[in-house]
Order: sequence, then structure tokens, then C-alpha cells
Amino acid sequence: MNKRYKSGLFNSLNPTRYNLERWSYTLHRITGVILALFLIAHIFEIYHVTLGIAGWNQTMEELSNLGVIELIGMWIIAGSALYHGANGLRLILNEVFGLLLGKPRLPEYPYSPLSLGRNQKIAIYTITLIVVALWIWAGLYLLAGLGIVRW
Amino acid sequence: MTRVRILRNDGSKQWWQEYDVEPRKGSTVLDLLLNIRETHDHTLAFRHSCQMGSCGSCGMVINGKPSLACQTRIADLKSEPLFNDTIRIEPLYSYPVIKDLVVDLDDFVNKHKSIKPYIIRKNPEELEEAPMEFRVTPAENLNFIQFDYCIMCGLCVAACPTVSLDPQFTGPQALAQAYRYIADPRDEGFNERQSILDTSHGVWRCHFAGSCSYVCPKGVDPAKAIQLLKREILKRKFVRGKAGASVAVVVQPEKSISNAPKAPPLDFKMEADQHE
Amino acid sequence: MEQLDYDVIIVGSGLAGLRTAIEILRRDNGRLGIKVALISKLYLMRSHSVSAEGGTSAVLYPEEGDSFELYAWDTIKGSDFLADQDAVWRFVHLATQEIRLIERWGVPWNRREDGRIEQRWFGGLSFPRATYAQDKTGFFEMRTLYDTLLKYDNWDRFDEHFVTSLVLDGNKFVGFNTIDLKTGNMRFFRGKAGIIATGGNGQMYRITSTASSSTGDGYGIAYNAGIPLKDMEFVQFHPTGLVPKGLLITEAARGEGAYLKNADGERFMKKYAPSKMELAPRDIVSRSIMTEIREGRGVKDEATGIQHVWLDMTHLGKEKIEQKLPFIREMGFKYVGIDIVNEPMPVRPTTHYEMGGINTDIDGKVQSLSGPIKGLWAAGEAACVSIQGSNRLGSNGTNECLVYGYIVGNDVYNYILKENPPMPNIPAGKLEQEQDRIFSGILGKESGGEDVYQIKDELKDTMEKYVHVYRTAEELETAVKKVKELKNRYKDIRLTDRGHTFNYNLQHALELGFLLDQAEITAFGALMRTESRGAHARLDYPKRDDEHWLKHTLAVKGADGPSFSYIPVRITMWKPVARVY
Repeated sequence: MNKRYKSGLFNSLNPTRYNLERWSYTLHRITGVILALFLIAHIFEIYHVTLGIAGWNQTMEELSNLGVIELIGMWIIAGSALYHGANGLRLILNEVFGLLLGKPRLPEYPYSPLSLGRNQKIAIYTITLIVVALWIWAGLYLLAGLGIVRW
Repeated sequence: MTRVRILRNDGSKQWWQEYDVEPRKGSTVLDLLLNIRETHDHTLAFRHSCQMGSCGSCGMVINGKPSLACQTRIADLKSEPLFNDTIRIEPLYSYPVIKDLVVDLDDFVNKHKSIKPYIIRKNPEELEEAPMEFRVTPAENLNFIQFDYCIMCGLCVAACPTVSLDPQFTGPQALAQAYRYIADPRDEGFNERQSILDTSHGVWRCHFAGSCSYVCPKGVDPAKAIQLLKREILKRKFVRGKAGASVAVVVQPEKSISNAPKAPPLDFKMEADQHE
Repeated sequence: MEQLDYDVIIVGSGLAGLRTAIEILRRDNGRLGIKVALISKLYLMRSHSVSAEGGTSAVLYPEEGDSFELYAWDTIKGSDFLADQDAVWRFVHLATQEIRLIERWGVPWNRREDGRIEQRWFGGLSFPRATYAQDKTGFFEMRTLYDTLLKYDNWDRFDEHFVTSLVLDGNKFVGFNTIDLKTGNMRFFRGKAGIIATGGNGQMYRITSTASSSTGDGYGIAYNAGIPLKDMEFVQFHPTGLVPKGLLITEAARGEGAYLKNADGERFMKKYAPSKMELAPRDIVSRSIMTEIREGRGVKDEATGIQHVWLDMTHLGKEKIEQKLPFIREMGFKYVGIDIVNEPMPVRPTTHYEMGGINTDIDGKVQSLSGPIKGLWAAGEAACVSIQGSNRLGSNGTNECLVYGYIVGNDVYNYILKENPPMPNIPAGKLEQEQDRIFSGILGKESGGEDVYQIKDELKDTMEKYVHVYRTAEELETAVKKVKELKNRYKDIRLTDRGHTFNYNLQHALELGFLLDQAEITAFGALMRTESRGAHARLDYPKRDDEHWLKHTLAVKGADGPSFSYIPVRITMWKPVARVY
């Protein structure tokens, strides 16, 4: 039996029964994939500038008449960028500067690890609140563009 | 009565088997399994040895969370919010299964060996003769001793999402041990380990999901070790590293116990030096 | 049967086994290319040495009042003068270098403020010389030795191989028969030198602090090969085992100042050892606790009905407990549900260590009745040199493993270097005989109706009831009769699991065979020794009898049970005196 038991994509992204940081890891991965696909679409869109002024103007024309579905898609991408960026900053603080992890000390029962301790959880909740607030604001902005809400 | 569902595996096929047992007060999952093996089914295979959480043999997945069977109390399982009166036991995730709950640990052991988990000194003679000890203060001891508590149970590797995706990833246990030796003031072997750690399948594959620290039964906190290791690698690339420990010299004692007991006088004359 | 040839074969991967392997590989350093095989029935790092908690003694501070004579005196007096004094003298000198050497290899000893190694008080010592690392000393030593062993290349590990017999050719070592648990096939290891380091046999008893792997396999295979076992009636009962399972509460708790209290709340040790109190040697404390319980001053546990006394650490304060005894606090939470900062802990004597073992001389070479066995050594708890005599002091077990790992490693290396022995020849038919015995005789047997686990339960209860701290002639005779009856029933067992991969049923059946033999030797030896010495206490012979019994017991396998003979103790330093503390 050389096959490893229950390994693979689904299990690596499954955060149930684990800790809060595992949820934020899963979300970071999913938003990362969304942003990667967006990057490809964005480059494809910008490519139209090589078609000259007429092609560029046509592209801009199409972009100002967007339907609801495309706007919801952009909203999701905006949320992804906000979350991925903010969480990324937290990860840089953890990995490059070693902050929010707590100093090494003797393990004391019941062994709540300091790297998942109070400071870390405060950081995650703060980030999530700020991101959600900015996301709702972005949503309102898009709805104003549709004319539903007056800005 | 408690229902226990165990994933059985005889090498070619796997199936779920159910047993009904009556747990005693204060008993653990390991007590249940021993009861099942001795009275219901002699063919159930699982590892266990010390029964007090210091050997690491009895690692298995209990109700979806990797844990040590000898440390998981039935009362704790029953008080969890989603418990539905069945205890579900599976072998550890991300390991090949040999039989029932016994998994193959060879890959785990090889990854640990690959990061050179021993003290390396520039002068190897210092590890062969020891007239006096190295001088290490209690504060320096604290820097690395937390990561030395690892009993090699393999739960962190079962919980890690990166190990699930990437079979070549060094794994949280090996990386935490690498940091244990790098942070030890007596070690001078950072450069020898760098080529294994500073690769895309080494330290940089970890993205801090933290599940390894969450399931660790001894509080080793491998996630912290790995992030500190990343900081150490970057620091040594751009800033200079730290000095090592020096050999302790024999100091003149401040206190001399003058009323220390003396052994009674010898009854026989000893021949000259009977020891090597 | 598959056959593998190695220069050195080590059975058992605890402290003694790993230290021996490192010593041989370190001395060789590639010169002769000696190949070492390390066989263990568990995975490496799962051996029971990782549960050792308290400390490792050595003389590190002679300038502060310690001395080798004092340490030797403590050990010899603690052993009730049954230890061989020349071996103890050599041992106390080598312990110092071992502590410093493994410190170089990375053991995180507790330190003083100025950076030097710290030591503390322990039971039976007259100077604080127990070196410790938090309260998991044995674990950190195992961790370091395992990591250091990974540095060398010329060795192969054979995890989860169960040794079933030792093959000798007359008085020469040939090899070991093993079962590979992963595939179920038998494998024979042939070697120029063999070392047995398999540890103790605490699983004979119901309430024990040993792991379920401590079944005395080393004793069993040596006994079956005709090698005498020495002093097997001396079983150490550690005074503080957690009720109800018997898990170990380290002696370091008493070293840091814990009190033992009976049901009336008094520190009863002042009646039995007025100067050392709780830090008297383990046999004295165990007997004191059992006396209190027998005289009705013990506390009864409601859930299981087991009688116990209290270990009280509430006066030490939270900070000291967190610094020095964190593992004990965790065990209190996990297994009893109390916080030792506020409440006392229920404790009772529990089986802990076997002072006896395979008969070896001062260098670790195994000795039969007619002379040394060429090419066979034993080290650690499996061997009896004897350093521990009739009672082992705390913190003397781990350093015996380390020191004898060093001594045996050097002896084996010199043997191979100087004598250049050839690979031995296997006596005809021995391997096929062994394979038949296991596969046809036990695994494939269709007849019989006994259950392995049933017999094991009855053995544990018998030993717990009749061969405990206090022994009488009637109880011991009952025990001997009962064990003989169990041995007859053992011939009738039938296994349910007929598979090949990881057949734990077969492993448990073979282990039970070894345990039954040792139970017989222990009970019979205790019956024959009509005195009280060290850990062996007879209610009908309460005094120590140096005139008739200052000798070691040797038990050799006979036609229907062990046959006993005696050899004198080597007295080279101090004559026996009364043992009071």
C-alpha cells in the first residue's frame, strides 16, 4: 500500500476540526487562485491596447456597459484582493520579522501554542473586520455605479 | 454503551467495522481499544506502548482530529458540541497504511534524518572528548528547549495541509527539529543544513496554517519553529549570525560545604586504580 | 528462512542499546567498517527509556564536597551490601564523563545561573548529585542519543522485529531468531558479537509503571538458551505510582520537597526513616507505605477500591511546581482530574524496575555456570553485574545504561579488533526447529481452548497479590503453584488471528511465555531466600542474614522449573553494616 491515506487537494483545503489560522489559510489559498485567474484576464484585457486607438476605445466602450453578473464578479475580486493583501501583510510580519508569535518558553499544560495565541487571534479578527468593512464599502460603490444607490 | 467505528484494512481492501463497548469512568480511547482487542476481536492491530503520552506510538485520527489515543478521554469526546454518540477512528492521514491503524513511518523518519539533526561543531574533536561542559545560561536554554520536547508521534505531519499536497515537503516535524539545532548555542552547523532548508520544498513551502501546533500533544509548537527558522535564514543572508557557546572552565566555588558527609573509612585496601 | 550477517547485533533500542551502538561506531570511525544491526520490537524512540523522569547521578562538583567514595558508599549502602563493590567503584568514575559527553551531544541539562550543570537531591543520596533536564531526563537523553546515532552510516535499523530465541553453539554466540512483524516471516541474524539490552519485565504485575512492551524478552531468550539469571527475586516497587493504573510519579517530587501523608494527615515517614524522611531509599519508603495501609491508615479510592496514601505538594507553591514538576501537574489534570497546586495526589507502590538480570561480569560479558559465553554481552536493566544489588537508588538506572553502553561498546570493539573472530557456524537443524515451534506449534495450532489474554490477566493478579512488597512463605508457595498451573494451561492456547502482517496476537502469546518463566523464577527465588534484604522483605524472616545469605542467586533452566545455585558477592571496600537512615 504505497498510496497515502486521505491526502490530496480536498483534504489540504478542508479546515473543519482545526484552528482559526487554518481557516484563514484556506481562504488565502482560494483568494490567491481567484486573483491569479483575474491577473490572466486583466492582461488579456490590457493587450487590447496593442490594437491601436480604435481597439482600445471599443474595449473601454464594452467595459462601461457591464451587466450585473460582471459587477458581482468584480466585487468578489475586490474582496479577494483586500483579504489576500491584508492577510499577506500579517504573514510577512509572522515569517520575516517573527512578530505575533510569542517567545519560546517551556511548554505548560494544556499546551495552547503561543503562535496561535491571543496576539495572533486578535490580529486575524482585526484584519477580518477591516476587510469586511472595506468590502461592503466597495460593494456600495459598485451599486452606485449601477444606479441603485445614490452615492 | 458507546459505539466505536474503526476503519479496518487488511492490505487489499478497507471497510468500517462497529463495536459496542461500555467504557469505565475516566477511561481513554486506548483503554477502549485494548478492551476491544482482548474481548471482542483479537485481530485488531494498533500500536501502543507507554500509556502515558511519552512514547508517541498510539497516534490515530479520532473523530476527525489527529490525536494520541492514550491521552484522549472519552468524557472529553462526549462533551464536544457535535458528538453524536459514535467514536470514529481512522489511521493517520497522509501516511501509507499497512494494517488497520498501523501506518508506515519510513518516509517520516527519512525526512527527519535528512536535516542532520545532531550537534555539528567546526572542530569535531570537541564532540569526542569532554573534560568540561559547555557554558549555557538558563535563558539560552529557553530559546530552543521547547522544540526538543518532540516525541516523533507524527500527528503534525498528518494535520499539515502542505504535506497533503506535496509529498516532497520536508514536513513540520523535521523543520522544527532543524530549528531546534540551529537555535542551540552549542551548534555551528547552519551552513550544512541550509541547502536542504532553503529550497522550494523546504521551509518556503510552509504557509502557516498552524494545524501542526494545534494537534501537537507535547506543546512543541512546530509552526512557531518554522516561522522563526524563516526569519533566521533571511537574517543570515543579509545580516551576520550569532556566536556559539564556549567551553566552560573550572571556576573556584563560592560556597564550600564544610559539613558535607564523608564516606566511612575503607575496610579493605584497594588495588591501584581499577577503572580505565 | 532469510539469513542476515552482521558484525555486531544489538537487541533492544533503549538507552543502553543506543549508547552501545554509538560507542562502537564512534570508536571504529570507518576504519574496520564494522556493520551494526539494531533490532527492536518497537519503532526506535518508542522504547520505555523515554518515560524515565527523575535524574542521572554523577560526581560533578568535587570542589563543593562531593567525592567518588561518597557516591560509592551511597550506592553500596543503598543496595543493602549485595552490590559487587569493584564494579560500583569503576561505575562511579565513569558516570562523570558520560554526563559531560552527552551534554556535548546536545542534552539540555538544567543549568545554574552561571551556565554550569545543575544537580538536585534524590532518594538515598547524601549529596545533591542528580543531574536533571526538566522532569523528563530519560526522554531528553534518548532524544539526544537517537539524533547522534543518525550521524553514522554503518548501521542498519530493524524496527518491529520480535526476537524469539538466542542461538548458541556450545558456549559461543551464533545469532538471534526474529519475526519481522511487518511481513510475518522469520529472519535469522548471524553475528560475531551480540548484545542484549532489552530492559525489564514489569508487565508481570497488575499495577505497574512500565510500558506494555516491558515483558522481559531478553531474560526469556537467555533463560531458554541455558544462561543463568541472577537475583531475579529483587523487584523494585517505586513508592509513588498514580492510582489506579500505577503510572510513575517521579521521585523528584519528593526531591523538591513533597510530603507523604496517611489518612490521618501525618508525615508517617518519621517513624521509619527519621533523618532522611521522604528521601529514604525506595524500598524503605515502599515498605512504610504498605505498613501504613496494612495497619488501616490508608485511604480507599471510591472508584476502584484500591488503598493508597497521599503525596502532598500544596506547600511548594505554583511557581516551583511549574518550573520543576510540570509533567506531574499535567498527569494530575489528565488522569485524576486534580491540580496538585491545591490538592494532594493519590499514590501507591508500583512495580518499576528489575534489579536482577542476565549474569554478567564487570565488563558486561555474559557468564554461564561454566564460564563466559564468547561473543555475548548484556547491558542496562537486562544485565545484572551487579551494581544495584538488592535495591536501586533513584537516578542510578539511567547512568548504569550509559556507563555500561560505554563499557560494552569498548569491549566489543576491542574483541573484534584484537581477536578478529570469524563468522560462526549455525548448528544444524536449529533454525528449522525454531520455525516449526512458532509456525506449527503456536500460530497454526488448531487444538486447545485457552485464551492468551485470560492467562495473562490471571498471572498479573497472582503476582500482585502473592509476590508483592511484603512476602510470606504461604503466599509464595501459593504463587509458585498457581504459576505452574498457568504454565500448563499455556501449552493449550489457541490463537484467533492467523494472519501474517502485524499479528499482535502471536507476539503477545510469545511474550506471555517469557513472562510465565520469569514469574516462576521470581516467586521461587523469593521463597528460597529466607531473609529480608533490600527490596525483598519477608514477614516470616524480618532480619538481614549476612552469615548465610550474602550471596547472589543464580537460576538455570531445568527439566521442570528453575534450579538454583549461589555465588558470593565481591566485597572489596566496605564490610556490611546495619542500614539505617
